[in-house]
Amino acid sequence: MRRFLLRRLGQVIGTIFGVVTLIFFLQRLTGDPTYLLVPETATQADIDAMRAALGFDRPLIVQYLAFLKQIASFDLGRSVIQNVPVWDIIASRLPYTLQLAGGALLVACGLGIPVGIILALYRDHPASRLLASVVLAAQSMPTFWSGIILILIFAVTLGWLPPSSTGGIEHLIMPSIALGLLSMATFARITRTSLLDELSKEYVRTARSRGVPMGLLLRRHLARNASIPVITVAALEISNLLAGAVIVETVFAWPGLGQVTVQSILARDFLVVQGIVLLGAFVTVALNLAADLLYSAVDPRIRLDGSRR
Amino acid sequence: MVRRGRGLAAVVLGLCLAAAPGALLAKEKLTVDLVNEPSSLDPHVQWNPDSYYVYRNIFDNLITRDDKGNIVPQVATSWKYLSDTEIEFTLRDDVTFHDGQKLTAEDVAFSVQRITDPKFASPQLGQFNKIIKAEVTSPTTVKLTTDGPYPALLGQLVKLSIVPKHLVDAVGKDAFNLKPVGSGPYKFDGWQRGVQVTLTANDKYWGTKGPFASVAFRAVPDAATRVANLQAGTSDLAVTLDSDLAAQLKNSPKAKVLSVLTERVAYLAMNIQKPPVNDPKVREAIAYAIDKDGLVEGILGGYDKAVPEMLSPAHVGWVEGIEPRGYDLAKSKALITEAGAKAKQPISLLTAPVYDQRVVQAIQQMLTEAGLTVNIEMTDMANWLKQMQSGPDSIPQMAFSRWSCACQDADGVLFPLLHSSSGWANAQDPEVERLLVEARQSLDEKKRLSLYRAVHERIAKELFLVPLYQVGIIYGAAKGLQWQPTPNESMFLNRMTWKD
Repeated sequence: MRRFLLRRLGQVIGTIFGVVTLIFFLQRLTGDPTYLLVPETATQADIDAMRAALGFDRPLIVQYLAFLKQIASFDLGRSVIQNVPVWDIIASRLPYTLQLAGGALLVACGLGIPVGIILALYRDHPASRLLASVVLAAQSMPTFWSGIILILIFAVTLGWLPPSSTGGIEHLIMPSIALGLLSMATFARITRTSLLDELSKEYVRTARSRGVPMGLLLRRHLARNASIPVITVAALEISNLLAGAVIVETVFAWPGLGQVTVQSILARDFLVVQGIVLLGAFVTVALNLAADLLYSAVDPRIRLDGSRR
Repeated sequence: MVRRGRGLAAVVLGLCLAAAPGALLAKEKLTVDLVNEPSSLDPHVQWNPDSYYVYRNIFDNLITRDDKGNIVPQVATSWKYLSDTEIEFTLRDDVTFHDGQKLTAEDVAFSVQRITDPKFASPQLGQFNKIIKAEVTSPTTVKLTTDGPYPALLGQLVKLSIVPKHLVDAVGKDAFNLKPVGSGPYKFDGWQRGVQVTLTANDKYWGTKGPFASVAFRAVPDAATRVANLQAGTSDLAVTLDSDLAAQLKNSPKAKVLSVLTERVAYLAMNIQKPPVNDPKVREAIAYAIDKDGLVEGILGGYDKAVPEMLSPAHVGWVEGIEPRGYDLAKSKALITEAGAKAKQPISLLTAPVYDQRVVQAIQQMLTEAGLTVNIEMTDMANWLKQMQSGPDSIPQMAFSRWSCACQDADGVLFPLLHSSSGWANAQDPEVERLLVEARQSLDEKKRLSLYRAVHERIAKELFLVPLYQVGIIYGAAKGLQWQPTPNESMFLNRMTWKD
């Protein structure tokens, strides 16, 4: 176990270093923010002066070393566009991202897993086929469309929910549904496949022939055995929800990290993008680690240090 | 839960109505939906519309433009030219900053010195760097010196916000940006990052006070959501809508459409040093092929207006009677046939996502119909700007563009587009350059107008670019909001009123 954790820690540092280096150079391939900052009427001399003031006239390698030095001292730098520390921008957005990801995960798991179970247990029932097509439809709707349709129905026409922005829990409902419906389908599918796989195993038939009720079997054995793929997917989906909510955030004017990432990329606000990518890399790596630890908790046959017993 | 909240609100509302009739007629809180949040509220450190909408209400300027576009006094009561390069402003002595300190000539001089200091690196430096000196000549007078006669000076000064010297000196640039203090009709209240900036009315304002006790500027990036907010009644004013969304609002019981023709001019840029547009015949064919009225009426919904010259009536330098080549497809085709095979070589039409792609595609269609080979090339804004300012050797063959100098003076439009000292220019026409320099150096408006007439005529003849239309902007507003939007896209809250 200790060897495993040490090895993983090494991997974490390597991965994060690789990611920040990649994003540093990738961004700079596309130029710098100077042109976006000055009015059209600025002369070349104005533009050069601005570029020098922002430090983008320095050789790339010098900028890179300065950046590494900053990171090593846990300083993410300042946004050249918003004139505040990058950490302040991330810290102000992070709670909203977590709320939305939490809400969406609740929708995705809360609907997806039961639906998957129903689809597996009643796989030949016509109602189950109908349900499958509903799930497919939910996954196929683009969020920029489903989001605005939700707003038009529940906010503009019915007036039940606020159309956008933040505030109480009522502001979170529509964005969570719009975002959660996408992952809901993934959860339903994986749960169904995994459960079907278990159902076809010998021990299930034996248990059923001995008269063990399905409910008990499901709770005691199937749920545990079928949950490994679901945990894998959950880890992936959570990192997706944290990173990929750009469209939902834009439609609902939800001030999450996705929106600020896209705006910062377009504005060439390099340090903000680097900070967010760093955070994203860290979260993804941490979630994968958590999933690995969970595997061994639900299935003792999986040993983390790689040795066989 | 929300419904119950509303019921309670109705009861409270009812009680208030019973207790204090009339008190509710005024609108307490105005909610404005911008596209993004301001990047910064220190008026000297940024240049972007979402910041501009907000901070213009926190700060005063020396002078301002009234709703008709005339330059009128604000903190300065009067001004006079001491010479061609020196101008003296007399200031009001009853203006105080939000922290209670008096606004003095020192603050004015400091503000000019701050924004023109190259070390400060203001993005707006280029708008003010003709000013080489700002001096306090008495407690209520300030003298500005320019590095030559500069006719656009007043047009630029309407955007120079006055910041308090004592506070900026004391707290520094970064802290001032987080908590800006000005002398305007609204005070900075709070900034919930990513969500909204709130302002409160300055009860001690020396001029017209703001009609709303508080105002929230929210970031709502999706235009369809901005419209939904208006329709649901959760916002009172929304910026940057297109004609389709405006049509949606026209049937709304709660909202209406407000629009204005701005000082932004859309044009088709060409690099006349590059084939095939280096051939005057091809350029003429392009001018004949473009149906400006078709663009304005057919695609943009009639909110914009075709222009014959590279300027708008909102600018100094606009002249009547310029005759451009009108839409004539047959003439266009004939000219292309005349120009021969080389006219048909591929032209790339550069554009960026901020521009209306329907217009760009229509232009491509029109030019293709005339017989040219035009390919649309899409890039992002930063790249677009870089390419467009890269000089005659590398400016793309053709691009759709919209120009705003935010100064409403021909000098801010024609000089950077056509004078070879600018990265945007590629015409390399000595006659136009002579006229532009002469117009820049004269304070005599009549003389300037005749010089700009000559420039417009030369553009119409040589077609260094094709002026298309004066850009209209569309706002959505709650029915009760009374407001006249202006060409310079300012949003002065104290010029609004509310009528239920």
